[in-house]
Amino acid sequence: MGKSANQQISKSTNERSSSSELSTTEQVLDLLLDALLERQATRRPQPVPVATPSPAPSPTVEKPLAPEPIPPASPKRETRPAEEDWTPPLPLPSINLGRTLSRLVLALVALLVVINVPINHYGTSLARIMPDTAALVIRDGLVLKGSGTDIYVLQDDKLRWISSLDAFEFFGYRWDQVHVVDDSFLEKFEPGRPIHVLLKCEGSPHIYALENGQKRWIKDISTFDTEGYVWQDVKSVSCDYLRDLPDGPPIPEDAGPPPQP
Amino acid sequence: MKDLAIIETILRNRYHFFNEIREGIGLSEKMRAMLISSIAFLALYGAVMGSTHSLWQALSSAAKLPILFLASLMVCSPTLYFFNILFGSKQSLTQNMALILTAITVTAVLLLSFAPITLFFLLTTSHYQFFKLLNVAVFTIAGSMGVVFLGQGMQVVAASGKEGAHARRWVLRLWILIYAFVGSQMAWTLRPFIGAPSMKFELFRQLGGNFYANVLVSIGEILGFLVVK
Repeated sequence: MGKSANQQISKSTNERSSSSELSTTEQVLDLLLDALLERQATRRPQPVPVATPSPAPSPTVEKPLAPEPIPPASPKRETRPAEEDWTPPLPLPSINLGRTLSRLVLALVALLVVINVPINHYGTSLARIMPDTAALVIRDGLVLKGSGTDIYVLQDDKLRWISSLDAFEFFGYRWDQVHVVDDSFLEKFEPGRPIHVLLKCEGSPHIYALENGQKRWIKDISTFDTEGYVWQDVKSVSCDYLRDLPDGPPIPEDAGPPPQP
Repeated sequence: MKDLAIIETILRNRYHFFNEIREGIGLSEKMRAMLISSIAFLALYGAVMGSTHSLWQALSSAAKLPILFLASLMVCSPTLYFFNILFGSKQSLTQNMALILTAITVTAVLLLSFAPITLFFLLTTSHYQFFKLLNVAVFTIAGSMGVVFLGQGMQVVAASGKEGAHARRWVLRLWILIYAFVGSQMAWTLRPFIGAPSMKFELFRQLGGNFYANVLVSIGEILGFLVVK
């Protein structure tokens, strides 16, 4: 609004100055008005130039004659908890957080009971009903089974085949320990020494390894040791049971015809 | 219920609470209430963690998680107390223990607040390594907040003793590091808390390895770099 008014005044001044019939007083007034407009234009704040790569120095702008801003009075410094004259703030009113917490605790207890209650005849609960996509922690003693009927135990990064149901039971494995995995997973491991249960009866000195339902005669003590067997692997059975088992190839295979217990 | 009310005082009027510890007002009542509420909350969170494996694991973790925190407190609080005394502190051992218990209580209540989230992931995923790392993250967040409270409490309670204040701040920082190391080793000793899916329930697992290596291995397996052995 001020700018347009100035422009109008300037226009009228020019019109008047162009007239030849102006009096001396009017001419003086015109000069005064021109001077006033010029001063106003000088005092108007210049727009701040946008930063450009031009090295030209910006024109010096006369500072407006505004009074220096008085800094606001600094607020009273608050004392900190570590200081001696510190006093704790007034306690806030209660929002019954204790009651809310006790309700949360009760709700969680109820949920825990619900998710741990078995919901099918296998005894599976909600907490453990998700499909078995869980990571298998590979460790010694892990019992694995592929698509076939053979069951293996992982030991020292090698798969040891459990050669019979007797061996499975004798070494204390349980069916709930058996993890069914892809055959490709089993192929990642080298085959290790099979796990046999060794059979012996009271009246005979001979020891046999049970494999695929057949008894395999172990020729002598040095073979027993070479195969890595230990006396704890030997299961005592009746001689009749042992005689009824069909003979398999002896250990080693060139040991000759196996003796009967 | 009455003991749980102390949580509100700690969370909403903490400076008032710390000031009362400084003045020694009702220290034994406060400690009893904090002990009861933190044991309850930690046991509940432990049960949530163990539920992924079996009911026995849930019960075992419910018992072991409070033991983990309280045993770490017992092991570490004399160090903080005597070093503070060495640098001019006028606090008593009870005040020190009350402050550490405050930190444990804050950690416990934050763990409780995370319990619904942990339960949600328990029901919707069965990825063991993910669940383990989720819990490491939850414990880190809750433990950090507890440590913040401990720092604030120490500031208030130690306000009367100006001598050696700077040194005591450093003692606290170093002690927090020691506490974290002791806590993680204690957790490793008392494991399992979750229970590996392929293993049968066991109260304590054989020693071997360490907490930090196990966390790195879990991250490696989640990212597909390696298989956990």
